[in-house]
Amino acid sequence: MRGTLFAIAGGFFLTLQSVANARISSVIGTWQAATITQMTGFLVALLVALLLRDKTFKEMKHVKPIYLSGGALAAIVLFSNITAVHRMGVTLTISIFLIAQLLLALLIDWNGWFGMVKRRLRMPQVLGIALMIAGVVILKL
Amino acid sequence: MALGMMLALLGGTMVAIQNTFNANVKQKVGAWATTTLVLGLGFLASLLAGLSFEGTNLFDFEAESWFWFSGIIGVGVVLSVTQGVQQLGPGYAISLVMVSQISFALLWDTLGWFGLEQVPFSWMKALGVVMIGSGILLFQLGGRRAEQVSKKEMAG
Repeated sequence: MRGTLFAIAGGFFLTLQSVANARISSVIGTWQAATITQMTGFLVALLVALLLRDKTFKEMKHVKPIYLSGGALAAIVLFSNITAVHRMGVTLTISIFLIAQLLLALLIDWNGWFGMVKRRLRMPQVLGIALMIAGVVILKL
Repeated sequence: MALGMMLALLGGTMVAIQNTFNANVKQKVGAWATTTLVLGLGFLASLLAGLSFEGTNLFDFEAESWFWFSGIIGVGVVLSVTQGVQQLGPGYAISLVMVSQISFALLWDTLGWFGLEQVPFSWMKALGVVMIGSGILLFQLGGRRAEQVSKKEMAG
């Protein structure tokens, strides 16, 4: 039950994040919004890491540098997310984000890219994405 | 609309790549050290992009005071998702997160909270969201038995 509540809260915070970023950007600008939210998020996360005594920072030297760089993609993610929310609302933006995300995740697993375990392409995943795309078409009617 | 869609597709693929990269980091590094790294680099990249597009005009703004607390939302995301995954396992937790995300989005568009442009509710939209939610569940949870069987076959 607690796990379920946490997962629902996670989804709520993700949507809230898109909405808040869009709101902030319409007052001060898109790059300003991206910079402020990432900076304050970084400071809070650092504080939590220190409070919880996460001592694994030094393990980063055992990770391939390319994988460590993933965070930088947030600049593209935030710019796309904010602009898309302004242009077509949260529901359509998040729907298409999720479709692109799952579709690429499927390709990554199928091909075993980026050190992921290679998995067979399975029917439910393909059907799931097809159903999501059909849902977006209906959303737009 | 077309530009919005293209950007959303681009953004979603970036999220998938970022999740994959972060998963590789988390094999060696704790959740909060990883989050600190990810948000720190996100900050640097946004700052550099902002500076290259707008120069020092980037700093010419008047923020409302709550803007400075917006980063807490991201920490709420990490905390909730990590706890959810620990208690439910990744398959169920992530599908629930996504279904919750899309449901709250419809609610938000409908209510137009937070100065967002209100998008009127219709049952057609609700049907669209239900289909997307079902698609997510099918994607995340479908065929798990088949996979277990094939593992057994391989072991046998």
